[in-house]
Amino acid sequence: MKEKAQVSERFREFKAELTSRPSIVLGMGLRGFLRLLSLKNPWTIALVALIWLWTLGFYVLLSTGDYPCENLFGDDSSEDFKRCQPLVYYNDLGLGGVRLFLVTLAAISSSGLIANDMTDKSIHLYLSRPISRLDYLIARFIPVFLLLMCVTALPNLIVYVNQWGEAGLEFDWIKNHKWLLLDILILGSFYSASYSIIGLTFSTAINRESWAAGAFFLFVYGSAIIVEIFYLMIGDDRVLLLSIIHLLDIIGFFIFDTQPFFTAAFGFEGIDIADIEVFGVFILIIGSCGIFVNWMISQMEANK
Amino acid sequence: MDDFTVDIPEGKIGILGPNGAGKSTFVKIALGLIRTTSGSVTVLGEDLDRNTIDIRRKIGYMPEHDCIPNSMTGVEFLIEMGLVTGMSLQSATQRTHEILGHLMMGEEKYRKIEEYSGGMRQKIKLAQGLIHGPDVIFLDEPTSGLDPKARQEMLETINGLTEVSGTNVLLSTHILQDVETVCDHVIIINNGKLQMQENVKKLMQRQTDVIQVRIGGSTEDFVKQLKKSGITATSGGRGLHVPYVNDKTFEQIVDSAVKSNCQLYEMERATITMDNIYLEVVD
Repeated sequence: MKEKAQVSERFREFKAELTSRPSIVLGMGLRGFLRLLSLKNPWTIALVALIWLWTLGFYVLLSTGDYPCENLFGDDSSEDFKRCQPLVYYNDLGLGGVRLFLVTLAAISSSGLIANDMTDKSIHLYLSRPISRLDYLIARFIPVFLLLMCVTALPNLIVYVNQWGEAGLEFDWIKNHKWLLLDILILGSFYSASYSIIGLTFSTAINRESWAAGAFFLFVYGSAIIVEIFYLMIGDDRVLLLSIIHLLDIIGFFIFDTQPFFTAAFGFEGIDIADIEVFGVFILIIGSCGIFVNWMISQMEANK
Repeated sequence: MDDFTVDIPEGKIGILGPNGAGKSTFVKIALGLIRTTSGSVTVLGEDLDRNTIDIRRKIGYMPEHDCIPNSMTGVEFLIEMGLVTGMSLQSATQRTHEILGHLMMGEEKYRKIEEYSGGMRQKIKLAQGLIHGPDVIFLDEPTSGLDPKARQEMLETINGLTEVSGTNVLLSTHILQDVETVCDHVIIINNGKLQMQENVKKLMQRQTDVIQVRIGGSTEDFVKQLKKSGITATSGGRGLHVPYVNDKTFEQIVDSAVKSNCQLYEMERATITMDNIYLEVVD
């Protein structure tokens, strides 16, 4: 009895010391990231491994000089596209090769993050905690963003370090390629953030994990295929802005300060679109996603 | 909610009202999940509009509907809720085991929530609201969907846990017995309006014997005549309630009816229960 009374006393006087909001959000995000990489998600781990193997294989191609950039655009346009520069290598390595896997990974990993909370309604418990709606969204954004960074920026950084090694680990090489390092990080963040936001939008709109993943994949690739068909028919570069894949690729080339080009089954074509059009469409799409997700969750807050 | 002003004291407070009365809306406004279009809300002495997030540190919330993830064990879920509230891992883990010990969950706490009975799920929902030692916990229909035995257990658990942790309770329900069992103050709302605010003990004292009277003619004259005999009648239900003292009260009612030229249609001894009071207020 005495022991029980002591426990009750401690229970009565308990007042938790609570951390700040940023710590809560970061903690939620990191736990979510670790859950994505746990053995409960074998497909996610398999895809990450596949992308890394792809990167390794691509890098072997690069190091042997077999990378087909010598003949990418023909002799006349080689200077325009700055082909065979490290910038183009990285863009193709990180994004061209892994694009299919990247979209699949984004679809699988993001689809359940908000959908599951909405299905089991635990979102009500999260939103009643000392965090705002935006905090919650950031906490759900962090896991998929970090996961995608692992397959976008990280492999490129390893290639970068390897190339530095081949250059004799000279500090001058780093100084000469400092913008390349920054570009790699910006490109990785840009792709990861964009696909995360779009993925979370589907996760919110279709609150069943598998359907949300399927819809995301179909939307991204379906729109790409339709747009490519229209592009062939109309021949206007601006049509490409209607496909997420092509839109992100075009901005990716901007990040590396190379002229955007379009890769399709029939070959490679240079793209000429005004910056304001490209960034206008991008902001419109991402902004719409953000507004939609925020609205959906505000509806969940108010209703059962 | 419309033209709703209420000052809620400390303790265990019941919000009573029929389905759709605005109980859940009231709780969500107090949590800061729904913003008011006008007026102001003060929770624990702080302006809700200015300090919504900080106030939530001092509040626990148990929603009405099922909202716990089936894929986790009871322990995992409570620790996660502790962490999301801002507790350290060590503190959340320790507190989880303490609460689940008080709830007598035994080894069940290591099983997945999908295997839990309705009563156990409600216990887990209650526990997540108390994990951080809040000053007040909002319980939204905590006995909803439970069988009588599980309901009684739930009410005892709420009483026990909040008693031992010294937590204030705001209990939203449409079940009168829940309020009688748990609360010391009751607020009755209907159609988004405050209908009544009363101490439960005082309310229970009103559950005295009365004589239900229904008359034809001038009710005003009849009430005046009764008053001359030292009896105060109140309106209630379909007619009047006259306090029963002894059998002589019946004679006094008949005399008053004769003197005020009223027809006596009905005169029946009845007991006012909390149900009667609630129905009167809501109707």
